[in-house]
Amino acid sequence: MSVLLEVERINSYYGDSHILFDLSLRVERNEVVALLGRNGAGKSTTLKSLIGLVRPRSGRIVLDGTPTQGLPPHAIAALGLQLVPEERRIFGSLSVEENLVLAGLTAKSRWPLERVWATFPRLCERRRSRGTDLSGGEQQMLAIARALIREPKIVLLDEPFEGLAPIIVRDLLAVCRALAEAGQTIVVVEQNISAAMSLADRVYVINNGHIVEAMTAQAMRDQPDVLQRHLGV
Amino acid sequence: MSVAGLRRRALPIEALTAFGLISGPFVLPPLGFAPDTVNQILVWGVFGIGFDILFGYTGLLSFGQSAFFGTGGFIAAYLLTENMMSSVLAALLVGTTGAALVGIVVGAIALRRVGIYFAMITVAIAEMFFFLENSPLSAWTGGENGLPGVPTPIFEFGGFSYHVGTGWSMYGFLAVCYFVGIVIALRVVRSPVGAIFSAIRDPLRARAVGHAVGRYKLTAFVIAAAYAGFAGGLLGVLQGFMPPDAFTFDTSGQLVMQTAIGGRGTLFGPLLGAAVWLFLRDFLQAAAGLGAAWKLVLGVVFVLLVCFLRGGLIGGLRDLLKQVSETRRKAAPEEVPALSSPSPLASVGPSRRRQETPFSGPVLAARSLTKSFGGLIANKDINFSVEQGELRGVIGPNGAGKSTFFKMLTCELAPTSGRIIFHGRDITGMDVAAVCQLGLTKSYQVNQLFTGLTLRENLLIAALAERRGLFALDLLRRMDRVPGLDVQVESTLAMVGLTARADVPVADLAYGEKRRLEIGLALAASPSLLLLDEPLAGMSPRERAETVQLLKNIRRGRTLVVVEHDMEALFELAERITVLHEGALLAEGTPTEIQRNRLVQEAYLGGVAAA
Amino acid sequence: MITWPNFVSQLFNGLALGALLALISSGLTIIYGTLGVLNLAHGAMFMLGGYAGYVAFEATGSFVMAVTAGALSLVVVGGLIELVIIRQFYDRPPEDQLLVTFGIGIVIVELVRFAFGSLSRTVPPPSWAAGVTPIGFLIYPTYRIVVLAIAATALTLLYLGLYRTRLGMIVRAGIEDSSMVGMLGINIYRVFMLVFGIGAMAAGFAGIVNAPVVSLTPDMGDSILVETFVVVVIGGVGSFPGAILGGLLAGEILSLTSMVDPSYSSVMLFAVMTLVLLVRPQGLLGTGSRA
Repeated sequence: MSVLLEVERINSYYGDSHILFDLSLRVERNEVVALLGRNGAGKSTTLKSLIGLVRPRSGRIVLDGTPTQGLPPHAIAALGLQLVPEERRIFGSLSVEENLVLAGLTAKSRWPLERVWATFPRLCERRRSRGTDLSGGEQQMLAIARALIREPKIVLLDEPFEGLAPIIVRDLLAVCRALAEAGQTIVVVEQNISAAMSLADRVYVINNGHIVEAMTAQAMRDQPDVLQRHLGV
Repeated sequence: MSVAGLRRRALPIEALTAFGLISGPFVLPPLGFAPDTVNQILVWGVFGIGFDILFGYTGLLSFGQSAFFGTGGFIAAYLLTENMMSSVLAALLVGTTGAALVGIVVGAIALRRVGIYFAMITVAIAEMFFFLENSPLSAWTGGENGLPGVPTPIFEFGGFSYHVGTGWSMYGFLAVCYFVGIVIALRVVRSPVGAIFSAIRDPLRARAVGHAVGRYKLTAFVIAAAYAGFAGGLLGVLQGFMPPDAFTFDTSGQLVMQTAIGGRGTLFGPLLGAAVWLFLRDFLQAAAGLGAAWKLVLGVVFVLLVCFLRGGLIGGLRDLLKQVSETRRKAAPEEVPALSSPSPLASVGPSRRRQETPFSGPVLAARSLTKSFGGLIANKDINFSVEQGELRGVIGPNGAGKSTFFKMLTCELAPTSGRIIFHGRDITGMDVAAVCQLGLTKSYQVNQLFTGLTLRENLLIAALAERRGLFALDLLRRMDRVPGLDVQVESTLAMVGLTARADVPVADLAYGEKRRLEIGLALAASPSLLLLDEPLAGMSPRERAETVQLLKNIRRGRTLVVVEHDMEALFELAERITVLHEGALLAEGTPTEIQRNRLVQEAYLGGVAAA
Repeated sequence: MITWPNFVSQLFNGLALGALLALISSGLTIIYGTLGVLNLAHGAMFMLGGYAGYVAFEATGSFVMAVTAGALSLVVVGGLIELVIIRQFYDRPPEDQLLVTFGIGIVIVELVRFAFGSLSRTVPPPSWAAGVTPIGFLIYPTYRIVVLAIAATALTLLYLGLYRTRLGMIVRAGIEDSSMVGMLGINIYRVFMLVFGIGAMAAGFAGIVNAPVVSLTPDMGDSILVETFVVVVIGGVGSFPGAILGGLLAGEILSLTSMVDPSYSSVMLFAVMTLVLLVRPQGLLGTGSRA
């Protein structure tokens, strides 16, 4: 089956603030899906619902044939889903290498560290540095590497390019493109539209907790007024 | 432990208490209570009244009440045994006052921290008192021997003198003391101060609606210290001897356990808990022959209650009664009642209490407002001003610094540099509560309601600050004696269209109703400038439409600043829009101008044309 | 009487006491740092370790067996307590967590009192550590030197465990961000249970090691509890190095001030704690995440 992730009509809440309304989407193997939308639209909540940080009150999530709604995050991670959170949340008191080793501990199969260094040479230079001593860009790289080292079926990226200098964004984009070309399935939430569009195969637009558009990236490029309508001012 | 609930109770608690106390000597002995045990229960009961106000109502768990228990007790005992005073009652009052004064000092130190740290400071301070009693001050306190020879009271009525003895004679005296203690406590708990105690469990909002939370916390702390001191004095009189173990951690611990067992937040919980404790001690030791295991049984009971019956025995009984008699309280309806158009009377105008000197110029002006966190600059050099009566929208893509900006305006966050002028007055660096009292309030993106209270009680808390200012020590005032309070609450209820649901507990409200209450809390402070942080967050399309209508209604006579992501709604509401981007002001203008502004488009769409 | 030999003697006492306090406090601090729960039963666990060791000693006559029993029994007891009770309290307000751990402490103390009575029990020091040892001009009880050595070794092992093993890495990451650890596929509830068990073990181990110095009574954990809090506050909540620093500081404060006036030593300690809480609530080495 080429569908790796199937989300059926989930309703997620923050406290009792209703954030996602009957939200459905799907992710196919080897593709990059972008979730676009304004602030507060529900993009982050969608990713958090997938990884189990937020428990949807109704609906179904099926990851590679296994239903995951209601499972705790560590179980969903074990099934092959990895979230790179918006706040990155690397372990500041651990070194870069320890962060990576920790991530790989319970993975069924993992990248050898050499592969991480090859993908992120900057991290290799800083392998002994503590997390708190890293720059913003390096922290983001570490957060992404930490997710990838577990060879997840799907990697969820929550605003990976936020707050980074353009040159770092360019480098990270190159890394993501290479991963995508190598077959990694990615879901990316981004407000940096151009970065997201340059990666994505398909695009969903979320507005006020509803999916309002679903189309291929090319189709979105052919109809710029769609983006203007939903994300513009 | 609802606030107004106590006000409107069907049961006359004072009368019931009097009845219970009078019937004590007849009902309790057949149940197996010895008079001395009953007397001890009463003393612990008095001790617990104050503690319950501190812990049960205000939510501050102190493990150090023994400090005040001992202080009050030893002061009274010393005065009496050294013959410095002949009236037992006077000595008790001096002891109580002494304990209260000590409470002010200790409270000023301990209350600088909250939760676990507060508890730990109270433990440390209590331990210090124990050591002080034991050694350096042992000349006055008798060290590990305590102070023997404390006399019992003698009352003289025109020639006839009544000497309180032991047993049931002492009971009479202690029962009167307990009764007086309860009557005062009930007055306090039903007073405006008592209502605010209940709100301190949500200190952020209590401060934001204009209460000087720190001072109220200290008030609760001192009340607890006073009751503890009084009870300590009573203990000395009861035993004829003031024991040093009044100061031990065990004493503090026993008080905590008894209160939790009996039921916190009930005022009578500690009395019931003491009864359970002492009864079990006597019963298990004597009758069941279990000897030293009585405290083990009590410990297990305590743990079980904490796990499963949070409200203690009284709380459990209350819940049981609620389930048995069907409540009139309805669950949140499927359809939230639609917002009716406000009645002509429904307007919460500018504060009657606040003198507003006529002022021309912008209501709010922020000059070069900057905020940096270490190396990260969240807001850079923002100049922002709002005119009287405007409805201004503030938008910006993620990371624009909108929430930081808003927090600085309400003085929840101090700017790194820059000034904020409100009504011509520099409010930079002021306290949130003080700024609210000046007329600037905010409604929050994530609801900050007073949980555990009803809708009306929530608005009451806000209205109390509006009517009474930052801090008032009206401990014995009746709520209906606060001028203009009811009008303030009712008109706010009408403004947000929630009059029909006023007596529903917050937990049972629908989400849309909670959001309206959130705005209502800010309105009840009679602000002249109201900031709204994403008022439409998490709403269904119908709720959005209703809230937009609500905002249109409340803007009359007020200035509003709204942060939102819902562009359609905002453009319908606002005359002018300010756009923030990457921490700085990007553009400002009418909705149409903003929509046509290329810079703004690019900020949001990030150069999609280039992709 | 402040004399030079007295001073040096107290200095050593302070070290031994400090090392022990550091050990107990490490347990408390990693529990609080990882689980967010302040274990008010920690003093009771110290006492329970002593009694468990006593039982083992009475049965086998071996000091080593006693120490092992003291440590291992607390791992089991601690893990069970976390699994059955503490786990239900993670979503409850901190006051409730304080109440339940306080209650658990009472129950443990009373259980021991019920089983063993209130009269003190003794565990003699092992024969090879009995008597006195001359150190320069000083004559010092041998066992206290042994206590210092054992405590230092235990602390070193704990350090190595925390900083050189995979499990220790998980615990340190968990202290920082337990939810993120969960997202990396590690069952954090198992981590919590383990941490609580290890923390309890530290207290229990200290309890039996200290037993030959004092006599065992059911209430002996009470003062330890308060002193441990003070150490954790001074050193910094959640910080293992802070517990060591705080422990040694506290040990010395207690010992040296007792030379001047024994009754003032505790007061001094509490005064220092109150000062730290007011001036630098995250402690000397703490990271301030939970103040």
